[in-house]
Amino acid sequence: MSKTLYWIQGGGCGGDTWSFLNAESPDLIELFDMLSIEVLWHPALSASDPQARERLDRRILQDEAPLDILCVEGSIIQGPLGTGLADTMMGRPKKDLIGSLASKAAYVIAVGTCASFGGFGADQETEATGMHFHKDDFGGFLGKEYKSKSGLPVINLPGCPCHSDVLAGTLSALANDMPLELNETHSPLDWYRIMVHQGCTRNEYHEYRVEEKQFGEKGCLFFYMGCQGPLVTGPCNKILWNRRSSKTRVGVPCFGCTRADFPQKYPFFKTRNIEGIPIELPAGVSRAHYMAYKGMAAAAAPKRLIRRKSGI
Amino acid sequence: MMSSKKIQVLPLNRVEGDLEIHLEIDNRMVSEARSVGTMYRGFENLLKGRAPLDGLVITPRICGICSTAQLKAAVKALDMIVRVRVPDNAVRVRNVTLMAEQLQNDLRHAFLLFMPDFTSPAYRRHSLFEEAVKRYRPLKGETAVRTIRETKKILEIIAILGGQWPHSSFMVPGGVVSVPGQNDINQCRSLLSNFRRWYEHRVLGCTLERWTDVRTLEDLDLWIDENREHRESELGFFIRFSREAQLHLLGEGHHNFISFGAYEMPLNTGVKGPAGGECFSPPGFSANRNMNPFDQEKITEDVAFSHFKDHGGPRHPFEGSTDIEAPGLDGEAYSWGKAPRYDGYPAETGPLAELVMAPNPLFEGFLSKEGPNVFLRQLARMIRPTLVLPVMDCWLKEIVAGNENFYRKNNQQDNGRGFGLIQAHRGALGHWVEIENGKIAGYQIITPTAWNASPRDGKGIRGPWEEALVGTLIKNPEHPVEIEHIIRSFDPCLVCCVHTIDRHGKWPTVKIF
Repeated sequence: MSKTLYWIQGGGCGGDTWSFLNAESPDLIELFDMLSIEVLWHPALSASDPQARERLDRRILQDEAPLDILCVEGSIIQGPLGTGLADTMMGRPKKDLIGSLASKAAYVIAVGTCASFGGFGADQETEATGMHFHKDDFGGFLGKEYKSKSGLPVINLPGCPCHSDVLAGTLSALANDMPLELNETHSPLDWYRIMVHQGCTRNEYHEYRVEEKQFGEKGCLFFYMGCQGPLVTGPCNKILWNRRSSKTRVGVPCFGCTRADFPQKYPFFKTRNIEGIPIELPAGVSRAHYMAYKGMAAAAAPKRLIRRKSGI
Repeated sequence: MMSSKKIQVLPLNRVEGDLEIHLEIDNRMVSEARSVGTMYRGFENLLKGRAPLDGLVITPRICGICSTAQLKAAVKALDMIVRVRVPDNAVRVRNVTLMAEQLQNDLRHAFLLFMPDFTSPAYRRHSLFEEAVKRYRPLKGETAVRTIRETKKILEIIAILGGQWPHSSFMVPGGVVSVPGQNDINQCRSLLSNFRRWYEHRVLGCTLERWTDVRTLEDLDLWIDENREHRESELGFFIRFSREAQLHLLGEGHHNFISFGAYEMPLNTGVKGPAGGECFSPPGFSANRNMNPFDQEKITEDVAFSHFKDHGGPRHPFEGSTDIEAPGLDGEAYSWGKAPRYDGYPAETGPLAELVMAPNPLFEGFLSKEGPNVFLRQLARMIRPTLVLPVMDCWLKEIVAGNENFYRKNNQQDNGRGFGLIQAHRGALGHWVEIENGKIAGYQIITPTAWNASPRDGKGIRGPWEEALVGTLIKNPEHPVEIEHIIRSFDPCLVCCVHTIDRHGKWPTVKIF
């Protein structure tokens, strides 16, 4: 049985769509063929036949056409002053259409951090919010009572952008009606229990506390450069980006883009610390033990590592 | 006599974002056009009060298809504030990654966003209609599928040199954070070589060398007639389809062009730009084919018809503000876009503007014969890779691997002003940044689409694509493909569908939400 998919964009940059085009083995085309997914509408990829789109919306909302999977990209813009007029379609707030479609869909996927948690604009005049969460508060645009027709809440795939494999994998599970185990913020455990740090090629620097203090120096980015790799979940260093690398591997700190409060209020590129030790420590460690371990690790650091001999 | 005047609201998809075109149509002729940006995201205000480097993380998120371009503009503004000269290797890495993103953008725009209009029912009687459907039907057509597969490969260059695409922040004031090794560079060159093979074989239908011989309109006719490969290539098909559809008669506009200049040259390089100078492609402003030296002081933004508070007429971005006014309470305002002007004039920007500044005989010939139009804008975008591909390989070869000098130390400045102006894929992109007491005090961004999609200014002068729309004859009101061609020929970065309201402003269709 084929499944239907409808993709709608709210307050976003389109980055999740373009990231999805990175998918490989299967690529986007192979994935849709393999899963028998029929794309009813995508704002960047559909041929324009606006009358057809309008008929489609009407048929879905009148229960004449089934909507299996609704993908929402971008935040739900509710401003200014609750009007939704900072994001309109034909003069009416786009949030209203998104809400109507969500009431008809078997599954709803929030693709990316903005759709999941509000992301950019969540504390601003645009009053942006996520589909089912506002930052880490459950509820968001649709409210706590909401369930999609399958009985599941909105499935959150945070990341700025969402990695193509994560979306492809989630679609595969849903299209085959396989169960998806979700974490406390409703993201599939398959990709959101591994830490970004796991798999980073700079892990040996981290082990021995060989830290980077200025750009290009090479070293672990956690103590000074603002890296959140050990703090947040995401598969970046397991499945890599564009099949090649990751930000942390080339020396760009992890900015914690899967976090519910992304973009954070405090500066990027700078670790908040108390006496040289980061305020936020890797999930689950005790501060005293961590300080003792880091002191000994630094003393044990091999010279080849301190001299950055590995080329990484 | 019955008036046939009506108002039509055309929401457009395949435009990266939200756009509606409000048209007044008199006997199927567009008599007035308003470009309506329907979404406001508030990035400029979100940056205020943040750490100076935060712009490198936040501004790439403005746009999912050109995040590297936003990053480059942001970092150039910061380079200026800290007064650092960026080492040659870093200049090359910044340029090569931006070029990779541009190749992706130009070919995705052509085959995923623009050409699908050739499959519109409006062209059912066009002799090449079936062939167009075979090539460009979204997610199914042979060229559409191949484009998805090839364009993602070229982006791997950005992942190798910058960690990921989209949305990395590997450019920092003083250079780039990555230190690529020899094998990384070789991998990038292999990816580039594969991409070039596809571009020459399928898109162009000839080698880059053969294409450089096409210098006049007659040369182009000879090229098309030369062999089957040329005619059947994507470029050959585009030319043949466009001629029959007469796309050269659509979307003339103001005849004003602006470019901020593309790709600053490393100090030592074997690359020569077509016009010499500090950039591979020079900056400039051209009004009715009169070239003017470029001066960023002459840029202003006007909010007379935008949903923003007007603080007394047009302002330079350093003096600019972004204070919203609720739509409906702000009189004649109709857009979330502002109206950028150069020396008081609206100007179109994009690949064609680049070719106006760096004299190109083929395009000069076309401009003097037919003026700017849909065909020419699209032709400029489709052949831009012929200029970029050889330069990219040269700069990759010139990157000295193992050299640690991809970054030059610099001192953070607690106060200062800087601007980063670049020629991004869709045209002139500028960031104006002001730092006070170690925090961002002001951040104004003018995107290429802000130029092209500009609403009217205080003098009532239309924006570039509004002007390009006026006078257009819509042959089939059910499928106003002419309007879609004109807008998409500017490669807009704004998303939606078509609705019609009659002159009494009533919705003709059932209320659906």
